[in-house]
Amino acid sequence: MKQQVPLVLCFLFGIVMILTEFSPHAASQATYKEIANWGRVISPFVLALAVITLIQTHWARIQRRTEHWQYSVVVFFGMILMVVVGTPLVIVGSPFGPQHPAFQWLFNNVQVPMDATMFSLLAFFIASAAYRAFRARTFEATLLLVTAVIVMLGNVPIGDIIWGDTASNARQWILDNPNLSARRGIILGISLGAISQSIRIILGIERSYLGGGD
Amino acid sequence: MEFLGIWIAAFLTLCIYSFLYRDNPFYRFAEHLLVGMSVGYIIILTIYFGLIPYAWDPIQKAVTGEASRWGFLTLIPICIGLLFFTRLSTRHAWLIRYPIAILMGVTSGIMIPNALQTDIFAQVQGTLNPFSVIGTLSSFEIFGAILIVIGVICTLTYFFFSVEHRGPIAGISKVGITFLMIGFGSAFGNTVMGRVALLIQRVDFLINDWIGTIF
Repeated sequence: MKQQVPLVLCFLFGIVMILTEFSPHAASQATYKEIANWGRVISPFVLALAVITLIQTHWARIQRRTEHWQYSVVVFFGMILMVVVGTPLVIVGSPFGPQHPAFQWLFNNVQVPMDATMFSLLAFFIASAAYRAFRARTFEATLLLVTAVIVMLGNVPIGDIIWGDTASNARQWILDNPNLSARRGIILGISLGAISQSIRIILGIERSYLGGGD
Repeated sequence: MEFLGIWIAAFLTLCIYSFLYRDNPFYRFAEHLLVGMSVGYIIILTIYFGLIPYAWDPIQKAVTGEASRWGFLTLIPICIGLLFFTRLSTRHAWLIRYPIAILMGVTSGIMIPNALQTDIFAQVQGTLNPFSVIGTLSSFEIFGAILIVIGVICTLTYFFFSVEHRGPIAGISKVGITFLMIGFGSAFGNTVMGRVALLIQRVDFLINDWIGTIF
């Protein structure tokens, strides 16, 4: 009951999705679309569970007054602010919603700048990590270093100022040829791996997602 | 409001950059605010672009008669989704296996044909396509097309672990590593430039937009 039924459900849903995908019959296509939509209906519940876990974690921090508990209040403040402004509570006459200017204002003036700054912070750390890690000790390491330098120089005006069009042309050639072939090899490898893993899951060979216990 | 928005954005930007000195309360405040607001934003998006169109609307239309009674079928995935909350009870936590198994089955079933069509067939086709118009290509482009085929084969050989990498296989695999290093190098270069572009954009905002409101 606890192990077998989930495995049977996984097998049935997996097989139905494969068979309906390859069948052009209208009923088959309708079934495929309906079950794919089921996935979209189920996914928000996963998010809800994640949000509940987040709330539990931060609420426990506040209750126990652990170190830096005050920042958990900030998490709640940010979350509640976005949810209240983003939800049009018709019953209490709240005019807000995701299209409301207040929601857009919060998104554009608070969330987007913080997101962009957080990612730009990585420029400093990636540079310092590269300085420490990039040593042209072997042929492969040198190749990685040289390619990265060419791609970076080809991306900025100074590369073309020094070498004319050569820097941007070299960058484009690297991206379109050796880089593309490596990426295709990786994509093919990942796809073959994903297919074999999917077959293992459907057939019940791979069952680690069920967790431990009986 | 625009003035206030610029000042708030500038304050939060400086809060986050203060981390370059060291971890401090200003950075931690901005970090936690970002987490909270991102969660709130995702909740709203999920409600409006997930729950309402795919769960609420079909049932409402079935009730009012706007759509067929098949809309009530949506109650099945809703019940399956509700099983996720059994995780919160120690006694019934095992029931979470049901929705996870269904999601795994559906995802795996969608993955197999999609990966075949969009990744494997499309990538192989893209690799071999230039040879179908080889007469129209310059000698340099033909060299590039051959290089791509060699690169794909060598890279795949590097990831082929069913045989021991000895003799000619080791040689081909070594060439594969060379292509991979070029790929990683260009990925690294592009990532650095992407982050630097964001940095320039933030500094530009601070200098022109924020300081522009002072002077």
